[in-house]
Amino acid sequence: MPNRKAVHPELYAPDSAGIPFLNGGKCRACGYVFFPPQRYGCESCGAPPEKLEAAELRGCGRLHSHATVHLHQGKDIEAPFTVGLIVLDDGPAIRSLLTNRRDEGLTIGDRMNSVLVAAGADQDGNEMVELRFARAEARK
Amino acid sequence: MKKHLREMRPVYVVGIGLHRYQRLSETPYVTLGLTAVREALADAALEWRSVQSAHTGTALIGMAASRPMLRHLGATGIPMAQVENASASGSTAFRQACIDVASGMTDVSITVGVDKPGPVAMAPGKTRMRDLVGSRVVPFTHFALLTQEYMTRYGVSAEQIAQVAVKNNRNGANNPYAQRQKAVTLEEVMAGPAISGSLTRLQCCPVGEGAAAVIVASDDAIAELGIDRNRAVRVIASVTKTEQVYRDAKNFDAELTRETVEQAYREAGIAPADLDLMELHDAFTIEELLYVEAMGLCDPGKAAGAIAAGDFDIGGRCAVSASGGLLAMGHPIGPTGAGQIAEITRQLRGEAGVRQQPNAKTGLAHMVGVGAVCVVHILQRSA
Repeated sequence: MPNRKAVHPELYAPDSAGIPFLNGGKCRACGYVFFPPQRYGCESCGAPPEKLEAAELRGCGRLHSHATVHLHQGKDIEAPFTVGLIVLDDGPAIRSLLTNRRDEGLTIGDRMNSVLVAAGADQDGNEMVELRFARAEARK
Repeated sequence: MKKHLREMRPVYVVGIGLHRYQRLSETPYVTLGLTAVREALADAALEWRSVQSAHTGTALIGMAASRPMLRHLGATGIPMAQVENASASGSTAFRQACIDVASGMTDVSITVGVDKPGPVAMAPGKTRMRDLVGSRVVPFTHFALLTQEYMTRYGVSAEQIAQVAVKNNRNGANNPYAQRQKAVTLEEVMAGPAISGSLTRLQCCPVGEGAAAVIVASDDAIAELGIDRNRAVRVIASVTKTEQVYRDAKNFDAELTRETVEQAYREAGIAPADLDLMELHDAFTIEELLYVEAMGLCDPGKAAGAIAAGDFDIGGRCAVSASGGLLAMGHPIGPTGAGQIAEITRQLRGEAGVRQQPNAKTGLAHMVGVGAVCVVHILQRSA
């Protein structure tokens, strides 16, 4: 029976009700919140791995910048596609593909939400999903 | 007790040499490097046997580059090592040579930057910390994001930013060592091809091959070896820093440059207004605007106006990238930072010909690299 799988299972879950969370991390020593998750040590205060814990980050934030990529050498995706720099409400600034192929209609400061989009199937017929961001419906 | 460069023995640049930056060719890296070294030795009127240590800035050609190249100058047995620091490899190698002389461990040291494009293993890709975008965001998109943010924040147009490429290609057109030696119009820059965001091809630096060599020496060596003191240029600051967690800043690139340059000004005892020229890391047009502001040459958001007014032209208040910069002279990685020192030295000697910034007394070299790292040197005419 084919399942739904995340392209980056360490970064988000393939199923979610509502707006998907991102898997980030938090330092219990200094409170620093980060993405992507890691268990090497805190970049902000140097606390050891045992002080780091997983932190679910809400997939909500504001668009800090955007760029449509016109030239891409990798075979995983065809240009054009659009990258956004999003400052999450939970702190970290992250880069993600947006659902739009081009960045027309986007404005810096727009509210953005994460969304899972179909990303083909793997060899076993599992449906793959990838996390991207889209502009929230109502502008605030 | 901690000391900075200016509190140690004085260090002077006494010889510079380059192999033209160019597209990848069949020329072996050995030939590229030896061309630059022999030119630097001739410039200083020194023999190779006077050189007491060698630091090779290189990131792309692979392990153990130095001796297979430098033995052809006569194997004198001196210490040699490679310095890899991403785009700042040549700058960091130069700093090591300065430290050798300043500390008194050598009287004459050389930096050789040499590289040829090729497949390279990037350590950051081996940290097993994958983000959402991976290789879908390469440097030109990182800087396209900074471009869009800057345009929106300050109401600056894509054309105003593209003027950096017009200025720097105009300078490169007069530099025989530059990879791009052709002046371009704003229309040509804007006509594309589009790369990422509003960045077009001519707003992104070419990465080719080449070499640059810089010889530094002490006062003792200048006296003993009969080096022309009037052509010696003193290194008055050498500072390198790495990125911290800037909790309130969203532009980490600008912040790292700001704090590194600030420390260099302090150590050199100068203010931004004292700079007659600088070579900065203009791998992409937006970087020139971000960095001149971060360095205090103009207020935030005012760089486009200053560029339009000619402030950063040769003949302006501070010539920025008189060599053509990374955008026109090129960015062969290992050589780039050493090539900046060569250009500033040539300018401070008054030997830059049609590219000469009038009455240049003080110049700054700035490189950044993946990591992120920032390396800054300030040079001053001694005579």
